[in-house]
Amino acid sequence: MSFRKQLEQRLPHWVEQGWVSADNADHILQDAAAGERHGPRYLALAFSLLGVILIGSGVITFFAANWAAMPKLLKLGVLFSALWGSYVLAGVFERRQLPLLATAMLLLGVILFGSNIMLIAQIYHISAHYPDGVLVWALGGVLTGWLMRSQPAMVAGLGLGVLWTGLESQGFGREVHWPFLLFLAISAWPVVQLRWRIALHVALAGLLLWSWFAFIAMSGWDYHDSAALYLVQVYFLTYLALFLAGMLLQGRGDAQALAHTLQRYAAFAALGCLYLLTFPDLLRHARHDHLAWWLITLVALLLVVALAAWHYRRTAGAMRPPFLNWGLGLLAAVLVLLLANLAAERHLAALLALLFNLLYFAGLLWLLQAAVHLENRALVNMAFFFFAITLLARYFDTFWSLMDRSLFFMGGGLLLLGGGYWLERQRRRLTRQIAGQREGRA
Amino acid sequence: MTLRSRLLVIILIQTLILAGMIAKRQWTLASGTPVVLKTQPIDPRSLFRGDYVTFNYEISRLKLNELEGDDEFRRHDHIYVVLEPGEPYWRARAVHRTPPPGQLALRGTVQYVADYWWNPQTGASEAMPHINVRYGIEDYFVPEGEGRVLERPVEGEEISLRVAVDRFGNGAIQALLINGVERYRETLF
Repeated sequence: MSFRKQLEQRLPHWVEQGWVSADNADHILQDAAAGERHGPRYLALAFSLLGVILIGSGVITFFAANWAAMPKLLKLGVLFSALWGSYVLAGVFERRQLPLLATAMLLLGVILFGSNIMLIAQIYHISAHYPDGVLVWALGGVLTGWLMRSQPAMVAGLGLGVLWTGLESQGFGREVHWPFLLFLAISAWPVVQLRWRIALHVALAGLLLWSWFAFIAMSGWDYHDSAALYLVQVYFLTYLALFLAGMLLQGRGDAQALAHTLQRYAAFAALGCLYLLTFPDLLRHARHDHLAWWLITLVALLLVVALAAWHYRRTAGAMRPPFLNWGLGLLAAVLVLLLANLAAERHLAALLALLFNLLYFAGLLWLLQAAVHLENRALVNMAFFFFAITLLARYFDTFWSLMDRSLFFMGGGLLLLGGGYWLERQRRRLTRQIAGQREGRA
Repeated sequence: MTLRSRLLVIILIQTLILAGMIAKRQWTLASGTPVVLKTQPIDPRSLFRGDYVTFNYEISRLKLNELEGDDEFRRHDHIYVVLEPGEPYWRARAVHRTPPPGQLALRGTVQYVADYWWNPQTGASEAMPHINVRYGIEDYFVPEGEGRVLERPVEGEEISLRVAVDRFGNGAIQALLINGVERYRETLF
């Protein structure tokens, strides 16, 4: 017996006993019914998507088994009618108020569009640069997602776009695959407009992956090359700018969920870059006088300053929380240190690393305060994660060569146990505080 | 925009893209100049598309000091290989970065550039600036089970391809020949 049915049986008795008022009993029943709708809805979507995957796999295996025996015209007939049929069915289901089946059919259409590209290339012996085919497929998915307001189709399109840049960057050894940014900009517009969170996750994860590929291509991982150092700084500033954009977006009430997602990815990437700058090894790279790197760094720096100033103007006033004020001081200190690092001599690496470490830990404390204020639990978890790995890294850096190995491992074990316990307690306290704030407001 | 018109736009655009792939290939086949190229089949079998043969053409590897035209190339460069008739196969005469006006040229992409190559006759590496080129006519799908036959031709069998080259440098396989006799011929339907 379902929970709602149990309630329907028990509630009249509870009302009779005076434990629950008649009004409240109605509210409880409505809430339970809404919960039931929510549950099967996701189940239905999961079944529909599974069905689409099975049909897609069936189509491919059918072709694989019978392909050679079919004349060209029949092959084309099968390919085009399957594509058109899936979209027509999507329209039929949409009109009959069956949105989940309509979504599943749209997704099937996107899958078939891609398989048709591959199979037509096979029928007519087209062996072009195959990532181009993946790009066309991705654009087909994005078009379907945008026009039909279908997040699954958009997610498929974005995922294929990420595959495209992966093939171009890694499979074909392109230097930096800039066209992906254009693809992302085109796709991200409807994602933001329609407030699609899952699609935004895919888009931001794709951006992070692309920037990693670009980093590999540009830095070449050459120990003696200064490009890696400059790049880490530019990346840090760019992701900091994205985080500030997330804070600006937070001000718009209807975009809070998107702002949270944006802040998470941007904070993760920015902290990752700052973490790299806490290592003296990276800071020992020789600084060559590359005017281009200076200019790029300055542009990124100005962008950060402009966004911070914009945010300051929007939040200026008596209600401005204190963490924003000391955050500005911290930001200024980081920017000055980044500029100093551009011109610093290699022998100052240890001092620079010390300063970066201090600012990094101060930044983590700021992030914790910001996370509580922004009610973003993921940021709390992230700050504790970075705090823990940096603490371990510094422990290894500092004591590996100084202590006897057995003492080193015992000390490390104690640090892990004690530090882990303390960090977990603090993390739980802060996440409970955020949950309490939300409940209090609700 | 109504539901019907939105679906129509999607169907129309995706159908046009797919039809465009066929039309472009057919236009090259119909309007291109036929050239016969010497080839070696290698590496058949596609995962789920049946058998296919990958061709390694004589013009897939170009010795730069034996050809006219440009000398400096980088990976991923688009190039134009000027072809001239030979007996029985066509061969490369020049290689350019830009389309040479008034000449029959096949468009390709540089896969890699090297200054030395391995000479199997002397068993040594020799100084020989050369480039490896991909033209987009390397893969040929054949009915199931026939890929391996092409992969291992019997003694005395020579495999060549008749390729149509259009005025933009695009190539399309017109026919597969064994000892000069057509084995497979491409048709629209």
